[in-house]
Amino acid sequence: MTIADLWIAVPLMILAGSALAILLLGAVIPTNLWTGAGIIATVMTAAWVGQTPPLTVAPTLALASTPAARLFIAIFSLTAAAALLISHRDNSDHGINGEEYPATVLFATFGATALSMATNLLIMFLGLEAMTFGFYILVAMDLKREVSAEAGLKYLLMGAVAAAFLAFGIGLHYAGTGSLSLTNALQLAAGNKVAHVGWGFILVGIAFKLSLVPAHLWTPDIYQGAPAPVTAFLSALSKGATVALLLLILPTGDLGAIRPILWWLALLSMVVGNLAALLQTKVRRMLGYSSVAQMGYVALALLSGTAGGYRAAVYYAVAYSVMSLAAFGAIAVIERNGSGEDTEGWRGLGRRSPFAAGTLSLALFALAGVPPTAGFTGKFLIFTAAIKAGEVPLAIIGILTAAVSAYYYLAVVVSLYMHDPGDSAAQSPSPAESVALIATGAAILIIGTFPSPLLRLLAAAFP
Amino acid sequence: MNGYPLLTILIFLPLATGLCLLPVWRCSDKLRQIAMGGALLELLLACLCWPVAQWPQAGAPAGFFLYQDLPWIAEFGIRYTLGMDGISLLLVMLTAFITMVAMLTSRHSITDRPGLHYLLILAMESGIMGVFLSLDLFLFYLFWELMLIPMFFLIGIWGHGRRIYSAIKFFLFTLVGSLLMLLAIIAIYLMHASQTGVHTFNLFSLAGTVVPHAAGLWLYSALLLAFAIKFPIFPLHTWLPDAHTDAPTAGSVILAGLLLKTGAYGLVRFGYPLFPDAAKTLTPLLLTLAVTGILYASWVAFAQRDMKRLVAYSSVGHMGFVALGIAAWTPVALSGAILQMVNHGVTTSALFAMIGMLDERTHSREISDYGGVWGKAPVLAFFFVLFAMASAGLPGLNNFVGEFLILTGSFKISHLAVILGFLGVILPLVYTVRLIQELLFQEERKPLTIPDLSVMECSMLAVMAAIDIYLGLHPAPLLDMLHTPVSILAGGAG
Repeated sequence: MTIADLWIAVPLMILAGSALAILLLGAVIPTNLWTGAGIIATVMTAAWVGQTPPLTVAPTLALASTPAARLFIAIFSLTAAAALLISHRDNSDHGINGEEYPATVLFATFGATALSMATNLLIMFLGLEAMTFGFYILVAMDLKREVSAEAGLKYLLMGAVAAAFLAFGIGLHYAGTGSLSLTNALQLAAGNKVAHVGWGFILVGIAFKLSLVPAHLWTPDIYQGAPAPVTAFLSALSKGATVALLLLILPTGDLGAIRPILWWLALLSMVVGNLAALLQTKVRRMLGYSSVAQMGYVALALLSGTAGGYRAAVYYAVAYSVMSLAAFGAIAVIERNGSGEDTEGWRGLGRRSPFAAGTLSLALFALAGVPPTAGFTGKFLIFTAAIKAGEVPLAIIGILTAAVSAYYYLAVVVSLYMHDPGDSAAQSPSPAESVALIATGAAILIIGTFPSPLLRLLAAAFP
Repeated sequence: MNGYPLLTILIFLPLATGLCLLPVWRCSDKLRQIAMGGALLELLLACLCWPVAQWPQAGAPAGFFLYQDLPWIAEFGIRYTLGMDGISLLLVMLTAFITMVAMLTSRHSITDRPGLHYLLILAMESGIMGVFLSLDLFLFYLFWELMLIPMFFLIGIWGHGRRIYSAIKFFLFTLVGSLLMLLAIIAIYLMHASQTGVHTFNLFSLAGTVVPHAAGLWLYSALLLAFAIKFPIFPLHTWLPDAHTDAPTAGSVILAGLLLKTGAYGLVRFGYPLFPDAAKTLTPLLLTLAVTGILYASWVAFAQRDMKRLVAYSSVGHMGFVALGIAAWTPVALSGAILQMVNHGVTTSALFAMIGMLDERTHSREISDYGGVWGKAPVLAFFFVLFAMASAGLPGLNNFVGEFLILTGSFKISHLAVILGFLGVILPLVYTVRLIQELLFQEERKPLTIPDLSVMECSMLAVMAAIDIYLGLHPAPLLDMLHTPVSILAGGAG
C-alpha cells in the first residue's frame, strides 16, 4: 500500500472516521450538535473530491478514483448532507436525539462511496451491503412507531434475500470465469453458462435494490413506514448508488444476454409502477410506486448501451435524488401538523403551509416531467437516448405512462391548493429544513434549466 | 444577431413583475398597481415592436425583423433562439392586450388570494409570449408546457362548478398531446443529426431535413394531435367547454383569447414548415375536421342554456374557420386565418368579459334567467349587441373580414368545404340573434337588478369595440404586416 493508495481512500476515511468519532464521542458528550458534525463531514467529502485531481487505481485496495466515482461521491455526500438537514427537527420531535442517527447516515454514505469506487465485484458487494445495513437501522430508527419497526423488519428480510442473490450471482460468475475484476466482467461471462446464471442472479439483486418490477413489492411499505427524512435519504441514496453499480458492470456497446431482461424490467416497471401509483390514496405509498416507475425510465436509458444513454441515466438519478429529497423533506414538515397520511388530510395546506406545500408541488411537477424542471430535462435525455437506440415502441409506452403519472401527481397538488383547509394547525419549517427545501427546490429548477455544467461533468465521467 | 434584447424583455418582463408582487403579498391594492403597471408596460413594449418592424435587424432570417440567438445547452445543440415576424407581432400584441383585459376583469371578482392570481396570470403571459417568439423547438416546447400550469391553477382555485374536474381534464388532455409532440421533435432532431451530423433544434435547419414519407406522416400526426387539442379541432375539443365554463372570467378570457391561438400558431409555424409533404397528404382530413367542427359547434351552441358554454362552443366553430384557412394553405386563406385569430381573440374575450360582468352582478349565467336587460343597463346591452354581432360575422366588423378571406382563399382548394363553411357563417347568426333577443329584449323573467357599466368597464370595452370596428373597416395595415411572412410560408409548402 502506497501513499497514493491512501490518498484515493481519503473520502472513505473522512466518512468512516467521522462516523466512528461521532459514535465514540457521542457516548461521552451528550449534545444535540452531532447532526451538524455529520453535515460538516459530508460537505468535507464533497469538497475533497471537488478539489483534488483524479488519481489512478489503488490495486491493493481494489478502489479507483475515476471521474465517474468522484462525481458519484460528491452527489452521495451532498445527498447525505441534505438528508441530515431535513432530519434534525424531525428527529428531535420523535425523541431521536443521540449520535447514532448521524453516524449511521455517514456509514451508509460510506458504503455507497466505496461501491462507486470499486474495481472488483467483492468490494462492490461490500459497499452495497454496508450502505444497505445503514438503511436497515435508519428505517427502524423511530422505535416508538410500530410501522417504523415493521418497515425495518420487512426491509431487512427482503434485503437479506436480495443480498443473497447478489452474493450467489457473484460467486457463480467467479466460478465460471475465475475473475472478480469489474473490467469487462460481462464480456468475460459471454458463452459461459455458469457465469450467465450468475448474472441472472446479480440482476435480480439489482432489480430489488432499484425496486424494479417484479422485485418492487417492498418499496411502498418501506416508503410508508420509515420516518420521512429517512425515506428521502433512502430513495435518493440507494437508487443513486444502484445506478452507479449498474454503470460499473454494464459495458458500453452490446449488453448481450442481459439486454432482454433489462427490456422487460423497464417495460414492467414503467407500466406496473404507474398504474399501481394511480390507485393509492396515501401520498407516501404513491411516491413509493412512482419511484418504481421512475426507475423504469432509468432502465430504459440504460438499455441503449451507449455513453449517451448512461449519461441520461445518471442525470436522471441525480434529478430523482433531488426531487425525492425535496418531496420527502416537505412531507416531513407537512406531517408534523398531524394531517395524517391521506391526501384527504392535506386539503388546503397550500394556504396554511405555503412554503412546504410549494416545494412539494414543485417536486411533484418535476416528477411528472413538466418543464422547466430537472424531471423534464431528465426525461428528455432518456427519451432521446431511447429513440436513438431504436427503442421507439418502449419510448412511446414510456411517454404514455408518463402522461398517466401526471394524474396522480396532480391529485396531490389539487388537494393542497384547490380544497378548503381542514382544521389542523399550520406548520412552518425549521431553519435547517428551510435551507434544505430551498436548496433542493432551487436545484430542481437550476439543473433543469441550465443542465450544461452537469452534462459536462457527465461527459467527462462517461466518455 | 443580437442587437437589443427586446424579445427577451417581452418574454420575461411579466414573470419579473410577478416576482415583484412577492414583497407586497398581503396588500391587495399595491398588488393590483404593480401587476397592472407591469402588464401596461408590456403592452407598450409590444406596440413598440410595430414601428421596429420597419427596420429589420441585420442577420435575421427572411421575413423576421427581430431576432436573438444565444447558446444554451450546447451539449444537445439547444439554443435560445427567438424571432419575431409579422405573425408573431400580431399575436404578441394580442397577448399583451388580452392579458391586460384579463387583469381588469378580475379587479373586483378576485378577492381570495389575489397575489397568487396575478402571479399566475403574469406567468402565463410569459409562457404565451415565449410560445409566439421561440424558433428553437426545445425552447418552444418548454414554453408550451409552461403556460399549462398557471391555467391549471387558475381554473382549479378560482373556478366554479366542477372546477377540479375541468382543471385536471384540461391539463391531461393537453399534456398527452404535447408529450407525443415531444417524441416527434426528438425524432426529427435525431433524423437531422444523422443526415447532416449537426445537432440542432433550430426550426429552419430542421425544416430542411429529408423525412421519409411514412415517417413524416407519423411525426406530423403527433404534432397535429398536440396542436389540434389546443386548437381545439373537432373531435378533440371536449375539454374546452368544461374548462371555459368552470374557469373564472380572467381564465376564460385568456383561454379563448390566447391559449386557443397557440395551437393554430404551432401548426402554422412548426407543423407545416417541418413536414410539408405529410401536411399536404393530410389536408383532406384537416379540411373535413374543420368543416365538421364549424357545423357541429354551431349546432351544439344553439342548444346551450349557459351563456359561457354557448360562447365556448361558438369558439370551437370560429377556430374551425381558422383551421379551414390553415388547411387551404393559400396566401389569402392563411392571412385570413391569422387575422381571424386576432379577431376571435378580441371579440370572444370581450364577450367572456361581459358575461363575467353579468355574472358578477346577478350570479347567474343561465340565459333563461335574463330578459329585458336593454331597459336596465343600456350601455352594457349596447356593447353586448356589438360584440355578439361582431362574433356572428356582421360585415363592417372584424370577424367578417377574416371569414371572407378564409372562404375566398379556400375556394380553389375545395368547393365543398367552402360551401359547407359558408353555412357556418349563417348558423352563428341564428344562435347569436336568439341570445340577444332572449337576453336583452324579451320580457323580464326574473327581477334581477343589473347596474349599468362602471367607467372602468366601459372604457375597457370601448377600446375593444374600437379595435373590432377598426379591423372591420380597415384591416389593411394588419394584412400588410402579414404579407411577407405568409407568402414565405405558403410559398414554402407549395
